[in-house]
Amino acid sequence: MMDRMTIPIGPQHPLLKEPMAFTVTVEGERVLEAAMRLGYVHRGIEKLAESRTYVQLVHVVERICGICSHVHTTTFCDAVESLMGLEVPPRAYYIRALLCEMERIHSHLLWLGVLAKNVGFDTVFMYSWRDREIVLDIMEELSGGRVSHAVNILGGVRIDLDAAQVQRILERFDALERQVERALEVVEQERTLRARTQGVGILTPDEVRRYCVVGPTARASGVDVDMRRDAPRPPYDELDVNVILHDAGDVWARTVVRAHETRESLRLARILLANLPEGPTSARARRRVPAGEAVARSEAPRGEVFYYVRSDGSDTPARLKVRTPTLTTLATLPRQLEGVALADVPVVLAGVDLCIACADR
Amino acid sequence: MDRDAVVQAMRAALGAAVGEPRTLPVDDLFVSVELTALRAAVELLQNEFDIWHLSTVTGLDDGEQLLLHYHFWQGSGLTLSVSLPYERAEAPTLSDLIEVAGFYEREVAEMLGVTFVGNADLRPLLLPDDWDEGPPLRRHVDGQGGQ
Repeated sequence: MMDRMTIPIGPQHPLLKEPMAFTVTVEGERVLEAAMRLGYVHRGIEKLAESRTYVQLVHVVERICGICSHVHTTTFCDAVESLMGLEVPPRAYYIRALLCEMERIHSHLLWLGVLAKNVGFDTVFMYSWRDREIVLDIMEELSGGRVSHAVNILGGVRIDLDAAQVQRILERFDALERQVERALEVVEQERTLRARTQGVGILTPDEVRRYCVVGPTARASGVDVDMRRDAPRPPYDELDVNVILHDAGDVWARTVVRAHETRESLRLARILLANLPEGPTSARARRRVPAGEAVARSEAPRGEVFYYVRSDGSDTPARLKVRTPTLTTLATLPRQLEGVALADVPVVLAGVDLCIACADR
Repeated sequence: MDRDAVVQAMRAALGAAVGEPRTLPVDDLFVSVELTALRAAVELLQNEFDIWHLSTVTGLDDGEQLLLHYHFWQGSGLTLSVSLPYERAEAPTLSDLIEVAGFYEREVAEMLGVTFVGNADLRPLLLPDDWDEGPPLRRHVDGQGGQ
């Protein structure tokens, strides 16, 4: 029998750019068990929310995540607006969804780069991060920010697009689409990528259900869930979202699912741009929110994001609860890491698309 | 999910332990459940209606008592809400029924000072190991280091 060894990984480590600690017990090259410790970027946002107004909180919740910032404000605004009984103009809903889809594209491309880097495939990392710039540039032109866009306000959005902007975005989408097709080809056919990711970090559909896993990680295990289709908020009720599924349940399946989803998001973004309704981009929101509770859910790039808002009738919430999709996949990690080779630990960690800032809040 | 049927079945099985449902925006139904009937209600959701997705557990201090909201989802939202008195902040764990519930309970335990009976792992999830200022989400804790 080989010696057992316990290896601490993190909180600062080269696998992820965010702090998180793992303790991995190995026997030879095999992982016997893994434990983790969160909280290194905990900012107490739920407590902070009790002393900030709703107007301020739109900007606070945007900072929960440095990748999917826009979907956080979208879901938060959705909850608060529905408590107010506010009618948001259709054009605002379309612009919100457009940003959501572009965010998904850049999040998935960023993730593909991180995975490629962790399996030692630096070419894909550099191409996908270069292509991600196309989306970031568009978002910067629209909002002034590459990552924090501050597009949402209670009652709508603060930006608008004219016909010339729509045309310029569509042209750049063509260039992006060519690159996404190429990435898809690499992901599906490149042997080195498959060799590192197939059969690694498997989650069965049963485990997905027991751990309540969401998003692309669940879909790569064949569990057919997508909030955009299953619980659509405007304008997704007017869109026909193709939900991408795979049945392998390993890191490779997650790569294939995300690559196809990038293409699907591009298709949806084009439809949104082509059908932008005319009219105002925001409705006037009151500062105070009537007493009550609301629950809102959206499909973030990593899956269902959950907001619960409880109002006591004042201009600050009595309670704000946020559950980010990463928290569900994190809970499965010790299980996924059992039995893998130590060299595959970075692949498993990258495979679930962790966002530690999201999980810690 | 046919929420009316779910509530009816819960009332048939658990009687007065199940309160009057409230419809909430955006798309959720809140049902208050007595603490003693919580596990039976969750088992009913799982076994009779195949509702397996627990979005999260929200714990809050409303100034008079502690509330735990168990947010389920299956096409639409269904939340089971239980209340706990301050002097007995204890609830049964759901971690044996829903694996991820144990994880959410850890957060509620540290943030609100609730003990989940039967959950073997209630170590801090987000707070530092040496945190000694009380559960931050209790009303009397101001989050600035004072109580």
